[in-house]
Amino acid sequence: MNTLLTLNPLKPQTHLIKFTNFKTFNQISNQRCLISTIRCKISSQQSKDATKNKVVVPGAAPSLSEEIEAPATAAEEDFRRKKNGGGFMKKLSKRVLAVLANLPLAIGEMFAIAGLMALGTAIDQGENPEYYFQKYPEDNPILGFFTWRWILPLGFDHMFSSPVFLGTLILLGASLMACTYTTQIPMVKVARRWSFLQSANTIRKLEYSDSLPKASIQDLGVILSGAGYEVFLKGPSLYAFKGLAGRFAPIGVHLALLLIMGGGTYSATGSFKGSVTVPQGLNFVMGDVLGPKGFLSTPTEAFNTEVHVNRFYMDYYDSGEVSQFHTDLSLFDIDGKEVMRKTISVNDPLRYEGVTIYQTDWSISALQILKDDEGPFNLAVAPLTINGDKKLYGSFLPVGNTDSPNVKGISMLLRDLQSVVLYDQEGKFAGVRRPSSKLPIEIDGIKVEVVDAIGSSGLDLKTDPGVPIVYAGFGALMLTTCISYLSHTQIWALQDGTTVVVGGKTNRAKIEFPDEMNRVLDRVPEINEPPDVICG
Amino acid sequence: MIFSTLEHLLTHISFSIVSIVITLHLITLLGNEIIKPYDSSEKGMIATFLCLTGLLLTRWIYSGHFPLSDLYESLIFLSWSFSLIHIVPYLKKRKNYLTTITASSTLFTQGFATSGLLNEINKPTILVPALQSEWLIMHVSMMILSYASLLCGSLLSVALLVITFRKIFYSSKSNNLLKLNESFSFGEIQYKNERNNIFQKTYFFSDKNYYKAQFIQQLDFWSYRVISLGFLFLTIGILSGAVWANEAWGSYWSWDPKETWAFITWIVFAIYLHTRTKKNLQGANSAIVATLGFLIIWICYFGVNLLGIGLHSYGSFTLISS
Repeated sequence: MNTLLTLNPLKPQTHLIKFTNFKTFNQISNQRCLISTIRCKISSQQSKDATKNKVVVPGAAPSLSEEIEAPATAAEEDFRRKKNGGGFMKKLSKRVLAVLANLPLAIGEMFAIAGLMALGTAIDQGENPEYYFQKYPEDNPILGFFTWRWILPLGFDHMFSSPVFLGTLILLGASLMACTYTTQIPMVKVARRWSFLQSANTIRKLEYSDSLPKASIQDLGVILSGAGYEVFLKGPSLYAFKGLAGRFAPIGVHLALLLIMGGGTYSATGSFKGSVTVPQGLNFVMGDVLGPKGFLSTPTEAFNTEVHVNRFYMDYYDSGEVSQFHTDLSLFDIDGKEVMRKTISVNDPLRYEGVTIYQTDWSISALQILKDDEGPFNLAVAPLTINGDKKLYGSFLPVGNTDSPNVKGISMLLRDLQSVVLYDQEGKFAGVRRPSSKLPIEIDGIKVEVVDAIGSSGLDLKTDPGVPIVYAGFGALMLTTCISYLSHTQIWALQDGTTVVVGGKTNRAKIEFPDEMNRVLDRVPEINEPPDVICG
Repeated sequence: MIFSTLEHLLTHISFSIVSIVITLHLITLLGNEIIKPYDSSEKGMIATFLCLTGLLLTRWIYSGHFPLSDLYESLIFLSWSFSLIHIVPYLKKRKNYLTTITASSTLFTQGFATSGLLNEINKPTILVPALQSEWLIMHVSMMILSYASLLCGSLLSVALLVITFRKIFYSSKSNNLLKLNESFSFGEIQYKNERNNIFQKTYFFSDKNYYKAQFIQQLDFWSYRVISLGFLFLTIGILSGAVWANEAWGSYWSWDPKETWAFITWIVFAIYLHTRTKKNLQGANSAIVATLGFLIIWICYFGVNLLGIGLHSYGSFTLISS
């Protein structure tokens, strides 16, 4: 008899206590079910707050609510406002928010932006109007309708600064903000509440459910917390969750995108840009090169800085190709004091008080030669090939009467600063000389010695106050995108006699979840003794 | 010399192994019961992975820079990424539907890289000044990894679409072949449906549908998971590229065609991820977006390079001149 009694999990004494408890549990579980059928509509959840307080222990943990449907939410808030007699403007702004937060609209905007960008790469950008008249003529439209009349009025010849494109971007930004405000932030409020499930049937209806015979919920709790879950235990019920950050991270993604958009706007309106080609040994003032890009561009003290190109030189591979080019720069302030000196190269710019100097290009400005041991003379060098990636420069040393209409002379060609190819008056190949080799060459009775080839450095200057903001956005975006990959997993369990009913769901890793659960549940020990613990 | 021989050897070994693996996959398709070929195909993929790793390392040592400076090297890296995606779930002892897709993708990219098309450019080239940066490893490897995983994920979505609409495909196919037969079979289906309405559904029928639905759901989940991972890589790749551009070109964003297309890819997959948050847009709808993304990745990866426009033209001009 005694053994029979102990087999019964609910002893008579505890049964009474249990009974009262059980009744309230039943009530609550009914309400709980009601809430879960309504799901994710925030206002209805808020209206149930009074009843929910019985069930929900406030704390930093999510409830079982799913994704929130934005339009419904916003519409309901709208409705409540109307009841409260809110002002017309408020109503209007709510209506606008509801429209903007609409997901299909946001998707449409994204498609529009993608389409416009694709069009922007398909149409050649920044050409003369004549180019478009010729390429997209009216009498032979592409696809039967697309002519220059579409391109020029809509500004598709400069797509990425056209009002159409920027307008769509602004609209998307507005949608981002509206969605964050009306959908995602309320979601946090909902997700911060968490609850136990009190009915085994509700648990069994979850995406994943299992029942463990002869197990104790305490053991499950210990194992779950070992597997990285936050576990909450109250009486016979258990709630555990993991990866809550994964549910909140999309808000961070949206905010980071807004930050990048804001920083980009500031960049576009508040920066200065300019490029200059400076021969070795010459100097320039920063402010002369930098030109404002937008209405927020204001020059700073640093613009008075003078930049001196001390030296320009190139590195070569064994095959003779250019591997890197460097410029040795000195910066002098307005008083003529040297404030900075640095050798820059491609991928290694100079930064001084918000101004960045980039090494972007090079060319050859002059050839220093000795003619019959006289000189040195500086010969101007001109670029000969414009297109193609191999550069070629040429220079000319006139021989004889320089005033006659058809001057003859020695031609010199250079690919880089390494060697000069010389041709005689008839255009025949005469020889190759390296600058600074001090080896003269005699052509048509004239002794020519190439002393030096003077390069000029192509520099880009820029100030961009938006960069710190954009970089902050980049960092936040990377971080939050990574966190977004985490899956928010919630597990509920209920001790039902000697059996533990376990159920759970996850929002992203739906494939891995059953495997992971099975692995966790396999480790829950089987209890042969009846669990007295739950009754106490 | 020894390096180029080794490289040559590794290229061809990996290509032959992948071909064998594909054949084994086809055999597995024909006779589902045999488990042996499947297992050996997995071992083959591991061998391919090791070969490709060796190939990349050889090239790294040989050329002295990270082997991602032109199209050929990026293709090899792409097939390496595919084989990596292939073997990671295998090492976790989990069987999935990805394997068929990754194996055949590896075959395609490896085949294209080894083929005569790109013969001219597969000698290690010098690194132009703009590429001499630590960012090269981070940016390009992230981009190619993201291409690989996004391609896999969107191919799963393509498979989902094909399975969902197989009936439509099938009927349209037979439409071209035999109209009479088609109408007859349609009549039969209608007749069957009526029968099913009148009588209870046969067990076999619902069972088959159940498996089909489950398979589609599995494909959907996998595709979502792999695309999310690819999206993460793509985000990191684009952002690191932007930071690099701010160091090398003087602006973090310059609307260069390649940049723009990478951004388009990013937006399309962002749309995919957003369609997933709505229950009524899941499944076929999001799969259509992913299929669109599949085409856009190819435009971004090859199309822009073939045109050889913009600042990202490192791998392109050699292809055109050859």
